[in-house]
Amino acid sequence: MKVLAFDIDRDLPQAHRDRKLLRWLSTVDHKQIGKLYLLAALLFFVIGGTEALLMRTQLAVANNHFLSPEAYNQIFTMHGVTMIFFVMMPALLGLTVYFTPLMIGANEMAFPRLNAFSFWITFMGGLLLYFSFAAGGAPDAGWFNYAPLNQNNYSSNGVNYYCMGLLLAGIGSVTTAINVIVTVLTLRVKGMSLKRLPLFVWMALVNSFLIAAAMPALNAALCMLLLDRLLYANFFNVPAGGSALLWQHLFWAFGHPEVYILILPAFGIFSEVFQVFSQKKIFGYAFVAGSTVAIGLLSFGVWMHHMFAAGMGNTVNSFFAASSMLIGIPTGIKIFNWIGTMYGGSIRLRVSMLFAVAFLIEFTIGGLSGIAFSIVPIDWQMTDSYFVVAHLHYVFVGGSLFGVFSGLFYWFPKITGRMLSEKMGKWFFWLFVIGFNLTFFLQHFLGMMGMARRVYTYAEIPGYTILNLLSSAGAYLMAAAALVLFYNIYMTLKQPPLQNKDPWNAFTLEWYADAPPKKKNFVDVPVVNSRRPFFDLKNPDHPDRD
Amino acid sequence: MYWQVSFLRICSTMNLVTAGALLKVTPEFPLQFVLKSSSKQAEEINRLSQYFFIAAGFILLVVVVLTFTFLYNYNEKRTAVTQRKTLSRKWEIAMIGVPSVLVVIFFILTLNTMQRVLPPVNNKTPDVVITGQQWWWQVAYPASGALAANEIHLPVKKDVLLLLRSADVVHDWWVPQFGNKMDMVPGRDNFIWLHINEPGTYYGTCSEFCGAQHAHMQIQVVAQLPAEFENWVQQQKKLQPNTLTVGAQLFLRKTCATCHRIGGTAANGMSAPDLTHIGSRKTLLAGMMRNTEANLARWISDPQKIKPGAKMPNFLLDSSEVHAIASYLYSLK
Amino acid sequence: MSLDKRTWLIGSVKRIVTSKIDRMQNKIMMRLTIGSEAIFFISLMIAYAYFWQSGHFGQAATSHLDIFKTGVFTFLLISSSFCFYRAERAHRNGKTTPMVRWLLATVLLGFVFLAGQAHEYYGLLKQHLSISSSEFGSSFYALTGFHALHVLIGLVLISILLALSVRGYLSNSGSSLLATVGIYWHFVDVVWLCVFTLIYVLPYCI
Repeated sequence: MKVLAFDIDRDLPQAHRDRKLLRWLSTVDHKQIGKLYLLAALLFFVIGGTEALLMRTQLAVANNHFLSPEAYNQIFTMHGVTMIFFVMMPALLGLTVYFTPLMIGANEMAFPRLNAFSFWITFMGGLLLYFSFAAGGAPDAGWFNYAPLNQNNYSSNGVNYYCMGLLLAGIGSVTTAINVIVTVLTLRVKGMSLKRLPLFVWMALVNSFLIAAAMPALNAALCMLLLDRLLYANFFNVPAGGSALLWQHLFWAFGHPEVYILILPAFGIFSEVFQVFSQKKIFGYAFVAGSTVAIGLLSFGVWMHHMFAAGMGNTVNSFFAASSMLIGIPTGIKIFNWIGTMYGGSIRLRVSMLFAVAFLIEFTIGGLSGIAFSIVPIDWQMTDSYFVVAHLHYVFVGGSLFGVFSGLFYWFPKITGRMLSEKMGKWFFWLFVIGFNLTFFLQHFLGMMGMARRVYTYAEIPGYTILNLLSSAGAYLMAAAALVLFYNIYMTLKQPPLQNKDPWNAFTLEWYADAPPKKKNFVDVPVVNSRRPFFDLKNPDHPDRD
Repeated sequence: MYWQVSFLRICSTMNLVTAGALLKVTPEFPLQFVLKSSSKQAEEINRLSQYFFIAAGFILLVVVVLTFTFLYNYNEKRTAVTQRKTLSRKWEIAMIGVPSVLVVIFFILTLNTMQRVLPPVNNKTPDVVITGQQWWWQVAYPASGALAANEIHLPVKKDVLLLLRSADVVHDWWVPQFGNKMDMVPGRDNFIWLHINEPGTYYGTCSEFCGAQHAHMQIQVVAQLPAEFENWVQQQKKLQPNTLTVGAQLFLRKTCATCHRIGGTAANGMSAPDLTHIGSRKTLLAGMMRNTEANLARWISDPQKIKPGAKMPNFLLDSSEVHAIASYLYSLK
Repeated sequence: MSLDKRTWLIGSVKRIVTSKIDRMQNKIMMRLTIGSEAIFFISLMIAYAYFWQSGHFGQAATSHLDIFKTGVFTFLLISSSFCFYRAERAHRNGKTTPMVRWLLATVLLGFVFLAGQAHEYYGLLKQHLSISSSEFGSSFYALTGFHALHVLIGLVLISILLALSVRGYLSNSGSSLLATVGIYWHFVDVVWLCVFTLIYVLPYCI
């Protein structure tokens, strides 16, 4: 709640006057908080990536003893939780809080102090989660932490830290979401009706509603689990009358919207990138925005497709099969919107666009294997195998992470005033994409050959070793690619800043601001008459008319 | 399908290269491939899978071809910014229409296949009750009262109803070539139907993460002709004589009997695998080791080293005691 | 308190928001917050309902819980909502003294409700109904406990409003603080009505 008025000219400089390090702690500037989110995501990305490498090293050969089963179980749990809650969420929320105000012509978020609170509580959640290593073992029951494996007698103390860490991060996400919604609803510049909102902001808006509605289900489940573990309540303790399935219902009632929470901002980024790098308006703006709303609504009615093999009965299963298949339609529409945007354009294959194009194909693969899981009998066959591991990485990496990379290359000149090297960027792109497909495409076959997910080792079965070995090699390729990216960022930051604040010939208002933007984003904001206000400003002879 | 067969062949050649000179403690298993249907249920599912893969392949092809065509045709080198063209509105209708039609078709196919794979149980008594436990399978045959562990014998060419239960956390039954999997949820009774086509040994694994040794919870199904299966059940029902060998005495004295059962003797524990006919099984510890006397001894002397996390503690036996127990157990055919 | 700190505080209080856009932001924010919180409570209520059959909740509720006593406290909580409504009206009309009185009444009634709940918990614990004794205990304490936590948060908020209004800082009727906190406080009441119906009333109806 805003009690005291916030004035950028008075309050921001005050925060900036502080000493250097303290300035990062005390800042309420949405751009600096956005950067904090991105840095936190980077930190956890390195940690989560290292965990992934440890896992792939363990799985490189059959009957391996590189990691003990307990260590492996902790590491795969931490990998999942870290990547979802402390890499993808902060990275996407970071881009959201950085660019939403800029794209709608606002100077700040609606609640700048709340914005700082959101970041720090999310970050604290991550630290608390990792503190578990020092407090008797990390959580070891998987990222969806099924009951009753999540009870005291079956899992480590780390599960307590899982609960507390995710509760904090969950509260942080909800407050950010509310902040974003209020910002978009109240701080749009004159002329920017909802019909003219940049698509990234549309996605951020729908996404924020999803976060605000989905997180509480997880928070409630986590509270119940904490009561179980610390006060010996009986929610999920089956012998004492608890229920194993209640956890699954609550978790997936959050968990499936969460999947869309991770992909919608990426959709938003791609919608901008496809337009700018094809030098063309989006094909079917209303369809992209409308299908996002459809996805948002449908995502709350599909959670039980994660439980097709839990024995819920054919009637229930067919209802959720129908809703899960339906959600494929708006997603498919989007893919064709982006392809249609490229048609007739003038395509510049910069790194940002390369990731967008790669996304089209990887995400189609991931989306189609996702549709396979909405077909109940195929789900019965393939769920909980490596086929699922392949599927979820195709959507999380090929979708969300590629979105972050694409956005990073697109917006880096805006955030820092410097262009990332295209040459090194292309090395990064090809290494990463090849490594990614090597790692995960083969896992489809491992799943079809009966390899269950989350096994710390496997027996000698024809084909297993060679496919796993190649899969591990791909993981190391991705790690090498990440090093190239870090080196690229490091070298770029040492360069002098660009003079050109609009290197991509972009369309939206964030490029109208300075690069990097001043403390107050806009001194004067142009009147918005179309969906591409900055384009109109640059082409006064033939402005947009919608 | 040809490509399946050739894929399998490639995989088995690869295995010759990779199977090194490791100690042959761990068993090797033949490759199981989901698209190779060994049961009626798998046939149903795989028919649907094939339709799906064709449709999915078609969609992927369209996306890939369109993407690369546009990338080539509308590259900045080939088109000037001023030549911009847009797709007509008709495409928007097509991109909703085509997926919608596919969704309807696959929804109907899904309903049909679901009904055929998992028809209602209607209070029928299950033929087999399989209970998942950390980290082994208890198998009971209600009709005959026979008990076994880990090695599951089933008759072929017959509709068999499996009742799946869990004694602790969520486990999951999955034999890839039999088609559908099913969770074993504590506090719930889940059923699946199975109609195996051919005799043989089939392998599967627990597919829901269930703790430290989730990886070592293999399923072995020995599918037999009904007559052979009946023989096997009768054999399993046979009790073991009370012998006075050192091993048998130690088994009772060293509290093994608190958890394990050996039918016919005073060993009556039910919380660990039934050992009445352990000598006749091919593997130990749910598919983790070959069943040899030496491996039994290795396990008994330090369980936590072999399968860390398993419920069996180290009883600190000396090596003569270990060998006596191992040789007694191995003799229980 | 040092002198410059005090001037800072007073200086800030003068900046209590009154503009139209701030009012709008506060209200949208609070509506979204209670929307989100509502889903949290719905999840807990679903858990309660989920265990109802297996845990014989109907029987447990009728034998352990005193619907009349809790009914009285429910009435008090609803009256506190009414008091808050009157405070809001007084605030809109710029009448500070009645506003302070009504706010005081709100806080008092809220505390009485919490005291009533504490008394109820004490009695239940004496009957050996704890959070770990059965699914009923778990679900009951979780649901009512989290509601009590929200009442407590509301009381802290209203106490701050009370302090501000006693000092005269809320004399400007354009401030949205009361209206915003009001949305929350009425929400807490509505949640209690749902909880009360589910836990106390329904067992007698089914």
